[in-house]
Amino acid sequence: MNGLAIDLRGVGKKYKFFSLNRIHLQVPEGQIMGLIGPNGAGKSTTIRILMGLVHQDCGEAFVLGRRMPDEQIAAKWDIGFASEDMRLYDAMTVGWHLRFIASMFPGWDNAYAQVLLKRFGLQAEQVVRGLSHGQRVKAMLLLVLARKPKLLVLDEPTTGLDPVARHEVLRELTAVMKDEGRTILFSSHNTHDVEQISDTITFIDRGRIIDSMDKEMYLDRWRRLRLEVPSGERLPALPGIIGVRQEGRLAILTANAFEPGLANEYESRGARVQAIETMTLEEIFVANVERSRVDCGEEVEA
Amino acid sequence: MTRSVTWDLVKKDWWLYRLHIVISTAAGVAALGLCFKGGEVAGVIGAVWIFTALVIVACMLPMSAIVNERKKQHLPFVMSLPVSVREYTAAKLVSSVGMFLMPWLVLVAATVALIEVRGFLPKGSIPFAVIVLLLPFVGFCLITGSALVGESEGWTIAATVACNSSYWLAWFLIARTPGLMELAKGNTPVWNGQLLWIVAGELGVIAGSLGLTFLLQSRKRDFI
Repeated sequence: MNGLAIDLRGVGKKYKFFSLNRIHLQVPEGQIMGLIGPNGAGKSTTIRILMGLVHQDCGEAFVLGRRMPDEQIAAKWDIGFASEDMRLYDAMTVGWHLRFIASMFPGWDNAYAQVLLKRFGLQAEQVVRGLSHGQRVKAMLLLVLARKPKLLVLDEPTTGLDPVARHEVLRELTAVMKDEGRTILFSSHNTHDVEQISDTITFIDRGRIIDSMDKEMYLDRWRRLRLEVPSGERLPALPGIIGVRQEGRLAILTANAFEPGLANEYESRGARVQAIETMTLEEIFVANVERSRVDCGEEVEA
Repeated sequence: MTRSVTWDLVKKDWWLYRLHIVISTAAGVAALGLCFKGGEVAGVIGAVWIFTALVIVACMLPMSAIVNERKKQHLPFVMSLPVSVREYTAAKLVSSVGMFLMPWLVLVAATVALIEVRGFLPKGSIPFAVIVLLLPFVGFCLITGSALVGESEGWTIAATVACNSSYWLAWFLIARTPGLMELAKGNTPVWNGQLLWIVAGELGVIAGSLGLTFLLQSRKRDFI
């Protein structure tokens, strides 16, 4: 293995109404990557390919050094996968599921499973049918975490959870992250959740990876500039500026490679800087998606 | 880690659907009791009941163990385990056929024994009983294949309707085959060439449909 837990090289998949466009995605061992994209962006397709559930039409996929889908059985022993569309057997108890998984995985940590049961407020005797959505997600995560996998692949695990349940799930994932050898790929369209636990963030939209970077770097480099412009003037997009919206004398600029010299440059052109604002990950995500769609020749509503 | 989890999946299905097996076997055994205790009319009713019990199992098992597993989104959970589509299919075929064979073998053996002991039908009817009771097994394999390969409730229902309609046609054709019904009235079971060909045909469809299901599943590129 080359130090990469996930290595997708030019992976493509074509459906009737959607294509995954030869994506490249590398996740080093021990990293926590957030995969953010709107609904229908290709997050689940990407994850299904790397789990061997869907065969790519082109490109190569390696997970934990195993070629997918051919070596999926060997790879899956070390992958803990939970997705939003996954359901446990409704008629069976949580305890039955624990025993079922424990009987298969020699690395199952029963003591940890019991700790998680308590922490998540679950009881082994509870029948899955009687659990709330939040409890079902927690039960699913418990089954995945107590296996102690090298790689955790979580496809929208927090979707539909109430704020308290989401907090509990994220807290447990944060605790899991203390094990530095473990790699996590966490997909979501909720940037707030991803921001809390990821070190690296990849944006995906319409089957294309549009940006991938260290989370802190995103937050450092992206800024919104509010400028007052002399009447009749139109501001140019200098290098580092990816969006200019101007109405009358007010201009809002979005920078993806901000440095203080940029503001000075606009001031030297007669503009007055009213504010330089940091951007949230959600704003960065939306700006990234809009820029990508404009680059592809699509119209984006202002 | 190289251990196969196929057997774990088989055991899981047998545990999950154990009630189907127990209830259908019990219903079949009750029908046998009716044949054993009652007169000619009760015997006929019991025989129809046995056949019906097997037809119901042949429809219910694929619907519960395969279609519902996909519909209720348990399949992604199963496929998150160290298993490929090929192994999943093997596990499903082994568990389903195993579950079907439990009541089927009990009822076939009991039916044959009943004819031998009770004598409410001539012993010459034993080959016909075997042929008739093989029909739900054939139907079960075709419905199971449709459920796995078709991946939809619609295909499975279509296969179920087609199979259930075909049983009566098969009975009709057997009854109309010259000379066969005379053998059924005899006092000893006779396996002539025609009867053996019919059994071979049924077994051929069973083996063919299971093999084809495995082959088609193994070639699938998208499973979920």
